[in-house]
Amino acid sequence: MAFAIPAPTVRLVTRETDADLIQRAGEGDRTAFEALYRRYARPVFGLALRRLGDRGRAEDAVQETFASVWRSARTYRPERGPGAPWLYAVARNAIVDRSRGRTDASGDVPELASDEPDPAERTEQSWVAWRVHRALEELPEREREVIALAYWSGLSQSEVAEFLGIPLGTVKTRTRAALQRLADVLEGELE
Amino acid sequence: MGRDFDELVGGDDLEPEEELRLREVHDLLVQAGPPADLTPALERMPDEPADAEILSFPMLPRRRWAAAAVAAATLAAAAFGAGFLIADRGGSSSSVEAARVVPMRGASGALASIRLGERDEVGNWPMELVVTGLPKQPEGAYYTLYLTRGGKPRVPCGYFRVGDQTTTVRFTVPYKVEKGEGWVVTYQAKGVHTPGRVVLTT
Repeated sequence: MAFAIPAPTVRLVTRETDADLIQRAGEGDRTAFEALYRRYARPVFGLALRRLGDRGRAEDAVQETFASVWRSARTYRPERGPGAPWLYAVARNAIVDRSRGRTDASGDVPELASDEPDPAERTEQSWVAWRVHRALEELPEREREVIALAYWSGLSQSEVAEFLGIPLGTVKTRTRAALQRLADVLEGELE
Repeated sequence: MGRDFDELVGGDDLEPEEELRLREVHDLLVQAGPPADLTPALERMPDEPADAEILSFPMLPRRRWAAAAVAAATLAAAAFGAGFLIADRGGSSSSVEAARVVPMRGASGALASIRLGERDEVGNWPMELVVTGLPKQPEGAYYTLYLTRGGKPRVPCGYFRVGDQTTTVRFTVPYKVEKGEGWVVTYQAKGVHTPGRVVLTT
């Protein structure tokens, strides 16, 4: 049986909002879907890893999340809200699905109150991490690298400069530029 | 890890409003912590046809199937210019935990996906077929999902009818699916029991 195959949709993706990309993915635009994947694979994986505590299961959750995004993107309605929360909800559902059947059956009741954040705090932390990690994907590589080293490597600014082989002033300049870009992205996506 | 804003950025020359804005981002970065490193399987979303052909079952590690399946679903459905109308909400609600998802497409925008589960201990493979866009069949007619061998429908996996909306059906089959095999859905007119016209294919 022969099928009529339409020409693939080729469109440039330049700073489109998540909502635009989701809508285009809902129309079958693969380029838009790939752009979403590039923006969100890491945040989804990070969220899944924190919730599931297992890289393999987290990987599966990422796969399931993007399969769900592809299947249900056409149900997204931009008038109901930005794309980031919608994607977060899709990811959360996929992760919850993965976490089912993993209940600890010991039945032991802990004697001491846990130091772990309560569910509301955890949700808030997850949402913050989600937004920030998604925004990081928008940075040029050299700025993202500086941010990662400056904030999470434990290196001092001088050590970052030495590590990257650039002047200290450049490290600070890049750090500031990165923060400004992140601020723009975070404000732009969630307004 | 609490990093100091003044040390990292310096704020002496910033307008107060801008400094406040950057401090907020700084605080969010500290609160968020480092992003996760993607695993090699997730690092790149496969986009070459060769990757989409990695659909052997069960010849690949489970996660690679899944990666390939997502890529294949993306490629196939995108190529046909239509989105899947499989789920009407975010997140999975399927009863079959997919080790592999295989897209199908047909004429007039008909689309389907097969979610293949893990083989059970005695050799049964659960599968869930989600179909949209197939015409409603007349009384007595039905559709059949066939496993193909050499491109021909050979082994029936299940029979179903469709309604106006998306139809979801579940089967269990004892067949081992080899590399290079696929599925087709055929239209079975009333009284016809040999494979009918192919309306969906992988």
